[in-house]
Amino acid sequence: MEILGYITLTIFIAAMLLMLFRKLNFPVQTVLIAVSLICLVVGAVFRSFTEGWVGVILLPNEMIGGIILHPITALLAGLFLSGALTASGGFGALKILINKLRKTPIGLAGTLVILIQLPVIASLPCGRIIGAALLPLLFAFGFEGGMGLLTRAQLIVLIGSFARNAFGSCGPSPIGGVGQIGEGFLGAFFPTASEGILRAPQAFSLMLGTAITALFLKFISMKLYPKDVSLRDLPEGGMEKKRESEVRGSFRGYLSLMIFLASLLISIFQPFGKMPVQTVLVAGGILVIILCRITIRDMMGGIILLPVSAMAAGFLAAGALAATGGFNALGNILKGFSNIPFLGIAGMLAIFVQIQTILPLSCSRILTAALVPVLYLFGPAKFDLITWPQLAIVMAAYMINATTSCGPSPLGGAGMMAEGTMRAETGYIKGAFTFSSMAVMAPLAAIYMKFLTLSSFPASGLQFERNVWMIIGFTVIIFAANAIMIKLTNIFLSGNVNRDWWYQLLGFVIPGAIGGAILAFCLYETAFLPIIQGTIGGIIAALLIGLMVPKRLGPTETVE
Amino acid sequence: MADQDKDQKDKTEKKRQRDDSAQPVVLPGIHRYQFFSNLKDRALTKNLNRLMMFGIITTLGVDIIKPLFRGLTQTIYCYECRACYATQDNCPVGIPFQAELVVASRVSDYRRFINNGGLKCVRCGNCTSFCVQYIELQEVFGQMQTITMDAIRKGKVPKGVLVRAMEEGLVGRDFIADVADVLGKRT
Repeated sequence: MEILGYITLTIFIAAMLLMLFRKLNFPVQTVLIAVSLICLVVGAVFRSFTEGWVGVILLPNEMIGGIILHPITALLAGLFLSGALTASGGFGALKILINKLRKTPIGLAGTLVILIQLPVIASLPCGRIIGAALLPLLFAFGFEGGMGLLTRAQLIVLIGSFARNAFGSCGPSPIGGVGQIGEGFLGAFFPTASEGILRAPQAFSLMLGTAITALFLKFISMKLYPKDVSLRDLPEGGMEKKRESEVRGSFRGYLSLMIFLASLLISIFQPFGKMPVQTVLVAGGILVIILCRITIRDMMGGIILLPVSAMAAGFLAAGALAATGGFNALGNILKGFSNIPFLGIAGMLAIFVQIQTILPLSCSRILTAALVPVLYLFGPAKFDLITWPQLAIVMAAYMINATTSCGPSPLGGAGMMAEGTMRAETGYIKGAFTFSSMAVMAPLAAIYMKFLTLSSFPASGLQFERNVWMIIGFTVIIFAANAIMIKLTNIFLSGNVNRDWWYQLLGFVIPGAIGGAILAFCLYETAFLPIIQGTIGGIIAALLIGLMVPKRLGPTETVE
Repeated sequence: MADQDKDQKDKTEKKRQRDDSAQPVVLPGIHRYQFFSNLKDRALTKNLNRLMMFGIITTLGVDIIKPLFRGLTQTIYCYECRACYATQDNCPVGIPFQAELVVASRVSDYRRFINNGGLKCVRCGNCTSFCVQYIELQEVFGQMQTITMDAIRKGKVPKGVLVRAMEEGLVGRDFIADVADVLGKRT
């Protein structure tokens, strides 16, 4: 059975890499389903020898078990409500409100910053809900969307950073977020962990990671892939014309907007008792149908099937891997890393926390559910490689990395919605998203957990003030180091695809090393060897992440 | 140097063009790289993509309809957030991964259900209070226990799974006699 796991894991990773490097140019769903079927056939052959026919016929059920219905239904509900808003003129009304808001002291920049951070404020259990509902609105800020308030470059940064924030916001969500998987495990030692031990570190690092994403998109992605976004820029003098053209809001629009906001608030605060977010959103959609007199067809128009089917295909591939022991093999490989002298436990953990950024799947829940139990077993519960507080620190870093991994996933990840909205080729945001997860979010979450959350959970909060200053210090260092790195890489980019890619890789490796060292410091404080091991682990993880950032995005067929 | 850069840029520009007509025709209407490319008008892959899409929709359908027919409707609402793992010591029989049991119940995955201790659950309901969706977990597990035992009696569960469950104490006292009986008959 163990060898079967290694075989199916190899098949899956090979298919992913081939797809990533465009050697397998089929739609993502086709490849993933094909991989699932191959894994299933290989699994069936193995099982026919070990367990006979009885074992074989159980395989399809085990594969279907990989499907997580919640993100699929959440996305559908988000799209459903977004369709209703579009049809009833809700987005028009929102445009008018935003126009008014930008004339207030917070201005356009302040309004946009609030919009970008809205997902982490709302913290819904799946970022796709708010993403599906608000991405069309963000598009409207550009020339093609009608408002003409932002240039093409500004719109790319706005959409990208909003998406970064949204597709990680499932982590700190207290109503079924992914972070709760880790909190459940930490409850074995921290009695109140399930009340949100991981929430603050995740939200904090996500906020700052969003800012780094914006910088990366502006200074690196736009220069690396200058022609891979087909958004049109404002024509000469067009901005003024656009601004002048008055958008008129209707009563129906305002009403639907109010229903939408009420639905979001009810989803977040659950004032009528616990209920699924999907139920609230669909009920909101039905209210819009009745009160704003739109048809169901209008509403269905908002549903985009591709992200749904790609996500489902991703789940099936993960299900096939789980059924054939692929994830167990991955866990074994990771644990084996700790026996390598130059990596040790610190280096292995530095790689472990980045594993979902290295291997981004369509929904972070897939790998998180498989790997968090492995991480838990590294602690005092079984292998005793790390203590409980150390486990909490690694969990915080791992979890933010995991929850943000659906963003850069080319296998039906949520980020594809953002790429679609900015009319970009698949993979455009991968560099920015993976960089911010790896270099900023993971180390920041670890720092926050070590110096603030852990000191307020057990009764040892004596050094509170000193710890807050430590967090501020580290935050400034991490942010400044990465911003400088981005700016430096930007200076070196020259338009030569191959050379630029190497510069970018170097730009990944150095922050990766810093991230690994910071994680090791959080775990072992000033012990020299673990910091070196953490640095090496960070470099390996960064290399793997950086290598997967596409060189070019467009088609590579040569014209003879 | 500047000329070289310009040449390189021109080359890249050329590479980027999606020019179908420049490709040699291998069959009437089909250009060579259409077999491998992501162009809209693929000939061979079109039906393959349709088939895969059909597969996805069917599986999603099965995933939802199956629990409906088996009386396990509540499992559809599970977020799989694993908040129930916080049950920890409150579970009298020490089941660590409750969410795994919910997913196993939804898809009738007997192996997953047994391996995660589903057959030793005493249906006390302590884990229910941790569920963010208020799923009546004890009801779900009870129903799935009945279904699993039925499958065991019909010989639908591999013998190895049952032997391992017995060895590791994963079968509760309510079912231990039945499972031992089935194993006895199979040997």
